[in-house]
Amino acid sequence: MIKDENKKFSIKDDFSMLALLIIPVGVAVNFVGGQLASLLKLPMYLDTIGTIFTAMLAGPWLGAVTGLLTNIVTGIANPVNFAFIPVSVVAGLVTGAFARANFFNVWWKWVIAMVAMGVASILTAAPIVVLMFGGVTGSGASLITATVMAAGANIWTAFIGTEGLFNILDRIVSFLICMSVIKVIPARNLIKFSCGKFYIKNKKEEK
Amino acid sequence: MEKTFTEKIQICKKNKIAGLYPTTKFQVVILFSISTIVLNSIKLTDFKLALLLIPWFLLVPFMFAITGEFKKCMKAMKAISFIAIFIMVVQTFIVSGGKTLWVWHFIAIREKGLQTGLSLCFLILNIAGIFVWLFQSTSTKEITRCLEDTKMSFKVAYIFASTLEMIKVFSSKSKIILDAQRARGVETEGNLFIRAKAFIPTLVPLILGGIIGSEERVLTLEARGFSMKGNKTHLFNLKKSGYERIILTISIIITILILAGRIYLWIMN
Amino acid sequence: MDYELECKDVTYTYPLAQKPAIKELNLKIEKGKLYGVIGENGSGKTTLCSILRGFAPSFYKGDLTGEILVQGKALASYKDQISRKIGYVFQNPFTQISGIKNTVFEEVAYGLENFGIDVEEIEKKVINIMQLTDIMELAEKSPFELSGGQMQRVALASVIVLEPEILIIDEPTSQLDPQSTESVFKIIKKLKEEKKTIILVEHKVDLLAEYSDEMIVLHDSKIIKQGESREVLSDLSLREYGIRLPEVTLLSEKLREAGLDIDQLPITKNQILDLIEKKRKGE
Ligand SMILES: Nc1ncnc2c1ncn2[C@@H]1O[C@H](COP(=O)(O)OP(=O)(O)O)[C@@H](O)[C@H]1O
Ligand SMILES: [Mg+2]
Repeated sequence: MIKDENKKFSIKDDFSMLALLIIPVGVAVNFVGGQLASLLKLPMYLDTIGTIFTAMLAGPWLGAVTGLLTNIVTGIANPVNFAFIPVSVVAGLVTGAFARANFFNVWWKWVIAMVAMGVASILTAAPIVVLMFGGVTGSGASLITATVMAAGANIWTAFIGTEGLFNILDRIVSFLICMSVIKVIPARNLIKFSCGKFYIKNKKEEK
Repeated sequence: MEKTFTEKIQICKKNKIAGLYPTTKFQVVILFSISTIVLNSIKLTDFKLALLLIPWFLLVPFMFAITGEFKKCMKAMKAISFIAIFIMVVQTFIVSGGKTLWVWHFIAIREKGLQTGLSLCFLILNIAGIFVWLFQSTSTKEITRCLEDTKMSFKVAYIFASTLEMIKVFSSKSKIILDAQRARGVETEGNLFIRAKAFIPTLVPLILGGIIGSEERVLTLEARGFSMKGNKTHLFNLKKSGYERIILTISIIITILILAGRIYLWIMN
Repeated sequence: MDYELECKDVTYTYPLAQKPAIKELNLKIEKGKLYGVIGENGSGKTTLCSILRGFAPSFYKGDLTGEILVQGKALASYKDQISRKIGYVFQNPFTQISGIKNTVFEEVAYGLENFGIDVEEIEKKVINIMQLTDIMELAEKSPFELSGGQMQRVALASVIVLEPEILIIDEPTSQLDPQSTESVFKIIKKLKEEKKTIILVEHKVDLLAEYSDEMIVLHDSKIIKQGESREVLSDLSLREYGIRLPEVTLLSEKLREAGLDIDQLPITKNQILDLIEKKRKGE
């Protein structure tokens, strides 16, 4: 099963029944992660863990759908979240693309991936926040952005400068949590996901 | 005679607007949003403010009221209003450019700031507000059923419904785990490091349980004929309230009038 | 005659596994009988069930050789219709709900909806089954808020309502208290009276002795003994494979050791009472 690594991936393979059923798990993890982070008053959002996790296991498409659905579901309570659908979708796509390329096997590749994930998220968020919300959204980091703007900084620089740091930190922590969870998932469960085999190989190499 | 179980699970709404078919409500939301964006492009007074958005916004609470969900909707508007007002304030006082309208020590309101502040604030209030109306007057059960009725695959509807349930289950489980940790003396208060340490042991079991549980879920669904081809029946069905045509017609007329007004102003200038 | 289920020389290996989880399996399941399956943990009981339902290899992947026939036709040829033929109840009561229904009534009806049965028909069938499985008072409760025992009865109801001819039930009581276990077995007894073909994995041999017609004993991925329950469960050599035998069997063995002349060891209370009766009359 692990031998045919060169096999082409098709979207249909990605959306097996099992893969479909981890979408709700991913969304619920996003939700609870965000909830816990604010309950424990952590200075981070931690509301993308589920998206990163499904993308790491089942590739970019599944990751994208998880991100999309997360913002749709949270948008039901607060429609402002609809505006940020592209950010969540891109988070899933980028993480999933790295997973698909078996990029998570060496630590230095992790670093590249984490930074790329952070940058991708800030690049998608920036136009939305700046153009639709004038640079601030009422979040904690927004206050800093507003202060920087008041000091005369350009709105784009202000946003990217402050939220960028938060974002990259958030992605690093989220990714590390996902990685440590995947490490304890039994091989027999991993093998059923389209990117799962990469982590099994890692396990064997470690031994 | 006593109701059958099938009758008991139906949703019956007295209010005809609340009982509109979800697709109709969605169409109204789209038309309203288009109108909002068009109105935003009409700038009034010397300062070029999108003032029409303010009276237009009165329609939102009006919709809440005629739907009979005023309180519920206003509660959902709280977070949105906070964001909108925050944005308005930040924009008005911080963004520079254009004429200075008002100065007090170092605080100043400038033309450009007021323009964007007002426009963003009411765009958000209007569009988010109409979505609040849609979702507060439509249960998720109706939305799921509507997804099944549209051309979307039954799988999409399943994933949507299952996600909502999964969130409930995970939320309550996370509270239980957190409480259990507290009972075992793990601290969830105190300095940042201590609080952060409570995060992982709460979330990780949920993820693992979710992954392993979804395998059995797949098999359970298969055993219940989930992927069986052919038509499925539904115990729960959506009903039309009878006011769909009227409401949609009114919405379309208003949208057309607004568009016409916009075009007229273009031609005049 | 066609058997309800037949396995011909089936060997199955999970992906990544070094050795088969089921080896050289030959099995003939007859209509209307209850087959008890026993064996140590990891001996392959659940795998056997998955193979009979086709989950292995269709879901688990892996390699399967040999032939599996359902009423004389290849299992694979049934495609999605197999869920009409074979019902499956899993071990864990909590993971086997649809996850999208808000009441037990709807949960039980879910499979019928997928089958495309008429609404009135569904209502009737579901009520019937809820009475049979004694969950009528749960009908309007949320499936997410049930206890393990209630959940397992709901799971049974959700499968029985589909009226499969064959039922595979994998350790339905391993996570339940004695009272819930009893209620589950009550349901199984009713199913047996309805002449369903049942394959039941269960650790509680005393209950199996009571209810089963035939027994299948697994050890280390292989069937080491199969046949009529009384014959299998009175085979003392099974103890060498770590298999527990019914209390009655062990008791009668003691009696035999004590000098009582017993031909074939009884395995149920009724059988031992019969024996005592016979001895009393005979001597
Ligand atoms: N999904 C799986 N992937 C790989 N190996 C498995 C899987 N499920 C079970 N096994 C292995 O197959 C063997 C038989 O397991 P199982 O059929 O579950 O036994 P039982 O139900 O009798 O306890 C065990 O060695 C187990 O580790
Ligand atoms: Mg088992």
